[in-house]
Amino acid sequence: MMKLRRSMLFVPGDAAGMVSTSFVFKPDTIMFDLEDAVAPQEKDSARILVYHALRHPSYRDIETAVRINGLDSEYGLKDLEMSVRGGADIVRLPKTEKPEDIELLDQHITRIEQACGRQVGQTRVMAAIESAYGVVNAVSIARASPRMIALALAGFDYLVDMQSERSGESEPELFYARAAVLHAARAAGLDAFDVVYGDVNDMEGFLREVMIAKNLGFNGKSLIHPRQIKPLHQSYAPTPQELARARRIIQAAEKAKKEGLGVISLDGKMVDPPVVAHAELVLRRAEAV
Amino acid sequence: MTDAPPGIDLNADIKLDFQTINLQEVPEAKEEIRDLLQENGLDLDEQVDIFVVCREHGRLVGCAGLDRDVIKDVAVDPSLRGTAVSLRLGSRVLALAADRGHADLFLYCRPEHVDWFRGWAFHPLVEVPGVMTLLENNPLNLPKYVERLSRERRPGKRIGAIVMNANPFTLGHRFLAEKAAENCDWLHLFVVREDAAQFPYADRFRLITEGLAGIANLTIHHGSKYIISRATFPGYFLKDRSMIEHSFSAIDLLMFREHIAPALGINCRYVGTEPFDATTNSYNTSMKHWLWDVASASPPIQTVVVERLIIDGLPVSASTVRALLAGENFAEIARLVPATTLEYLEKSFGPAREPASR
Amino acid sequence: MDIIKEAIAGTLESSDVLVKVLPSQDGSLTLHVQSEVIKQFGKQIRASVMQTLDALSVQAATVVVSDKGALDCIIRARVQAAVLRAAGAQEIDWSVL
Repeated sequence: MMKLRRSMLFVPGDAAGMVSTSFVFKPDTIMFDLEDAVAPQEKDSARILVYHALRHPSYRDIETAVRINGLDSEYGLKDLEMSVRGGADIVRLPKTEKPEDIELLDQHITRIEQACGRQVGQTRVMAAIESAYGVVNAVSIARASPRMIALALAGFDYLVDMQSERSGESEPELFYARAAVLHAARAAGLDAFDVVYGDVNDMEGFLREVMIAKNLGFNGKSLIHPRQIKPLHQSYAPTPQELARARRIIQAAEKAKKEGLGVISLDGKMVDPPVVAHAELVLRRAEAV
Repeated sequence: MTDAPPGIDLNADIKLDFQTINLQEVPEAKEEIRDLLQENGLDLDEQVDIFVVCREHGRLVGCAGLDRDVIKDVAVDPSLRGTAVSLRLGSRVLALAADRGHADLFLYCRPEHVDWFRGWAFHPLVEVPGVMTLLENNPLNLPKYVERLSRERRPGKRIGAIVMNANPFTLGHRFLAEKAAENCDWLHLFVVREDAAQFPYADRFRLITEGLAGIANLTIHHGSKYIISRATFPGYFLKDRSMIEHSFSAIDLLMFREHIAPALGINCRYVGTEPFDATTNSYNTSMKHWLWDVASASPPIQTVVVERLIIDGLPVSASTVRALLAGENFAEIARLVPATTLEYLEKSFGPAREPASR
Repeated sequence: MDIIKEAIAGTLESSDVLVKVLPSQDGSLTLHVQSEVIKQFGKQIRASVMQTLDALSVQAATVVVSDKGALDCIIRARVQAAVLRAAGAQEIDWSVL
């Protein structure tokens, strides 16, 4: 069954309070951040904190991810060793620019999985696209490894790289990047995450942006505050009409299966498997608000 | 509104910027910091160069000064007191100090703020009522030190103490020690530990030991951070001598009266008259006030001022010897110091030649 | 592991713990715990810290722990971080943590 990935909550890796308890907020994914949230002098301590959280029973039933530092930094490889050995479900590679970045990461993960006895291939990867180069390489990045499960667009750094700024409203400056990342993700069968909304006090602006992303087709969004989770889930929930239609599609699919029919039909029209899959997604989004 | 488990402040402002600055390199920040301190009833200590500062949208809302292993000049904007800002500021300055090699720290604050700093894991050691409190953040240190000292207790009605820098050890120092030892059942002599003097601690300690070898009822103690140190009496080490009148010796003297003297049963303290060094002179005056006049749970200690040894009509003093040393006048020095000190000075500072036979 | 310098890890903030590790002056292992909940949890905190030190083979050190209501795994993590910093260790053996 497709894993719902609407809310990806960023948790600074050195914030003891947040690291111990953010599972209570029930985001779809917890992203422990060892990169931008943590000062250089504290990266070693944060790494150990996150290791303990990853192995803690409280986090057993929730999808865990770690944003490691780049592999070209003095921290990245150590972060990776910890993440794989700690049992993180996903490793997020920041500032991914080309497929070779993912290939290298993949090789390291395989080596570590073998060394620590973890099932090879179990650790998945998410690539963060944060620059123009990353955007234009999104397609090949998305295909660079069977571990890939998602692309995430990181707006702030991308706009700096583009020498642009957020205009605050309809935001044409992010349009191409969003579209490119989305297309690359879809073409490779991956999930796509939209940018962080930084003003945690502006719920209206946040929800506007969520609707834009949802309508474009983004699976979810990177969040920096727990109070953004529920509103995001609610925005992704179907309307009653959408829900009713989804239920009818699934009933039609089950009926066709029971009767041994190869073709599903509803209201005299054929229903293709992708439509059924989408209906299942709609149902799940309704159930998990 | 999402429910939060304890310890999670959902309203925590994530727009605070913390920065470590050196006032020598960023002098523009000095006035901002001085203003914030004044709002909090504090004066900027000119000795402090390193500050951790906290800004909210560019405005200074918190600061904490660090001078080696002493934290002082801590202030937080009234609007942010009682929030996690102070704890974040504290965490930063502790991390900075540890990075610079100091995990055990002292802290100065106003007495009414002591509870605030208990939250920083500091506990009070000595208080000058209404003025300032000295705290430290390792509860094991002072008790361990006092316990070690108390093993050196000696019986007697009159137990004396001298705190000596001896920079370098002169006949004047010997005279003071001899006078004190004559008048006490036992004498405890402490050597100032800080290496701020011209002569390194190890040498000063050795010269004192050699110079006082003849005295039987004497224990010479190594100095510590609790006796005339950069922490307890920073004024003693000021480079800027014009600040001397404002140097504050109460903390050091109360520490002596409340913690050190009781460990050894000390009831009198000996000092020499001080004609030359203004810091030491005002210190001696303060001594009578804090060791005797002021009411305290700890027993009062008598201050005994001994007239300086006079040689050729002049009081013998280490500063005179240092001045003569600058001029390499060993013949004059020889009249003011014992043989052991002279030998050391000639070997360390004299031109390479045969040692003069005495 | 040999403790060669002073180090701290953790913060003063709620739900965290500040751990200070210093070289021992007399070859002993000394632990002092401060906590708002010392009566209810003092024993557990001591046990966690001692177990963590033991797993890292720390036999001589002075350790001061200032707890602000941290969960057990946080205490262990901060003790480990402080010990590694105080030992000047570059590599971590994750199987020991």
